Amino acid sequence: MSGVHRRRMLGAASVLAVAALGACSPSTPDSSNGSETPGSAPTTITFSYLWGGAEAEAIEPIIADFNASQDEVIVEGISSPDFQKQLTSMSSSQGTFDISDHFGNSVGSWAAKGILEPLDDYLAAEGVDTADFVPAAMEQMTYDGKIYSVPIAVHSFQLLYNKTLLEEAGVAVPTTMDELAAAIEALTIQEADGTITQLGLGDPSPATTLTTLGYAFGGTWDADGAPSPTDPSNVEALTWYKENVIDLVGAGNLVTFRSGLGEYLSAQDPFYVGKTAMVIDGEWRAVNIPSTAPDLDWGVTPIPYVTTGLAETTQLTASTLFIPANAQHKEAAATFLAYLVGQEGMTAFSLALGNLPSRLDLLDSPAYDGIGQFSVWLDALASDNVHALSNAPYAAEYATDLDAAFDNLMRGAATPQEAMDKVQQNALGYATN
Amino acid sequence: MTTRRRQVLTGLVFASPFLLGFAVFIAYPVAASGYYSFTDLNLFQPPNWVGWSNYTELAGDEDFWKALWNTLYLTAVGVPLSIVISIAGAMMLNLPVRGQPVFRALVYLPSIVPVVVGGYLWRWLLNTQYGFVNYFLGLIGIDGPGWLVEPEWGKPAIVLMTLWTVGGTTIIYLAALKDVPKDLYEAASLDGAGPIARFRHITWPTLSPVTLFQVIVVTIAYLQIFTQPYLLAQTRLNTVGSGPGKSMLTYGMYLFQNAFSFLKMGKASAMAWILFLVTLAITLVILLSSRRWVHYGNR
Repeated sequence: MSGVHRRRMLGAASVLAVAALGACSPSTPDSSNGSETPGSAPTTITFSYLWGGAEAEAIEPIIADFNASQDEVIVEGISSPDFQKQLTSMSSSQGTFDISDHFGNSVGSWAAKGILEPLDDYLAAEGVDTADFVPAAMEQMTYDGKIYSVPIAVHSFQLLYNKTLLEEAGVAVPTTMDELAAAIEALTIQEADGTITQLGLGDPSPATTLTTLGYAFGGTWDADGAPSPTDPSNVEALTWYKENVIDLVGAGNLVTFRSGLGEYLSAQDPFYVGKTAMVIDGEWRAVNIPSTAPDLDWGVTPIPYVTTGLAETTQLTASTLFIPANAQHKEAAATFLAYLVGQEGMTAFSLALGNLPSRLDLLDSPAYDGIGQFSVWLDALASDNVHALSNAPYAAEYATDLDAAFDNLMRGAATPQEAMDKVQQNALGYATN
Repeated sequence: MTTRRRQVLTGLVFASPFLLGFAVFIAYPVAASGYYSFTDLNLFQPPNWVGWSNYTELAGDEDFWKALWNTLYLTAVGVPLSIVISIAGAMMLNLPVRGQPVFRALVYLPSIVPVVVGGYLWRWLLNTQYGFVNYFLGLIGIDGPGWLVEPEWGKPAIVLMTLWTVGGTTIIYLAALKDVPKDLYEAASLDGAGPIARFRHITWPTLSPVTLFQVIVVTIAYLQIFTQPYLLAQTRLNTVGSGPGKSMLTYGMYLFQNAFSFLKMGKASAMAWILFLVTLAITLVILLSSRRWVHYGNR
């Protein structure tokens, strides 16, 4: 038995064992280059995507358009929203899909483990110029000098507000952090017994809200290739949040208030029913609100700034397309990838899902004019203050620890400095590859 | 070939499907995970030998101890409650009242509800402000706690949800109760024994072998508990939530998180072996103690 085969068997056994006791295979990238003979029968490739439900339904017409546009590659789409299944498939010598999607912050971890195919040569062969994409997004796609993914869509975060509630409270749309603090106070309504009936600034995702605020205060969450949670500006941002949101109502009252909020993006979403007057959230809201809360009179504005140099700060996250190292038809997959990230494919995709395009030449496209207020999120991508979390191998552990630290902060169980010190301490044990 | 050797060979051939399955799917993976627990396997690359470092890393890992504590807490509270409620339930289901089959079906019904469905159902039932649990507590003058938002109430919430499916254990007890000889109860009654004395001297000793089995099985289930806390603590799809202050992070969840979120398969294998040894130790203690409280009818 060859060493590689023996290791594969050992790997499969390990997964079974961890599952059984209470653990796949070290694969080497497929030696086949997946080359297809020109002029031969069309190559069928599998596009396994994480999207499900309505989003999955929106993908299929785009796949059909690609299939109709040429006769060399046939794409079969499969909705498979299970991360673990995606990983397991990439652990074998022959993968079950040729192209898939994930998120920007996983690129480094996966690239370091050799499961992502470097795309530089494929992109060059397909004529895809990475300079056409939002720089902060491409930064997340790159590991150790090579490109391992391409952003099919990006997301930015801005301040949404309920126009009716602001007008009732006589509050102007905030542009600075001081104005935001005053607006939060004016828009927060609390009964005598401490019960919160309306919160000035909601937190659909504490981690996103707080990391974005960190950037807005001039902080950075990763510096010199390592986590930097204790960056003074991060602590300053968290202290601002603690004083102006948590302490304003009391941590215990806030916990009780949050526990009774309706489901995110549903008709009972706290922002839609007026329980939260403002939220920091992404562009999908612009598509979700007209269909879910059509009567909501809302607006969106750039995240208020601390100093003018920090104006139009936002956090960017990216949805990525990648070709696994064990794909059977890499060149055909690259052809489809190039279509999806081209102007036509990306426009159709981003409109279907209500996401931002990652191509700079689409930021001014009239195709998005039909989505009300979408431009605020789109314009943000051209800002110099667009930041993205690191894609380093430690990203998953870091995100988990930040979640826990923000939870402690929200419950009043830790001060901002204590919470970030704890994360910094934990970072010493993070994976390095 | 001698007859005896042929018989042995025939036996092995008939047993081979099990032996093969056991070797491939249980014995080899268990042995392999033991090896991997001393490596830095990350699921994709050839592992490097790292000695005891996964184990020493776990010894200094605050979350490991937190998860172990949470799991032992759930076990210490959940197992006795499961046994007591099951026995009490079985005794009630053993009473000669009209419509008893319906009551038995109702008690078992939650056990056939898919656990994921049950999990999301309980997320709503335990909602602090709008959940039915706190609503009913309010009817009897109790101001319900923040089940899934306060660190001290996360684990009781898991126990509550787990006890909802206690019907399976109850049915086994019910079957055991049917085996208690009625003449023993009659004789005890004639001797003036009341309900408590009859339970203590007849029912409990008779049920004790079944109780030993149930205690071991339910204890192992609690030590491996994953799905219920995973569902109750979940905040985002495909990621492991841990509840307020990591109060709902169980050993199984932290093992899963290390294996499939952080891709630290070597560390996860070490965790699996530690859990195996903890389970073995607890089971041995239960078995050794059983000499004092388990009564077999033929002794």
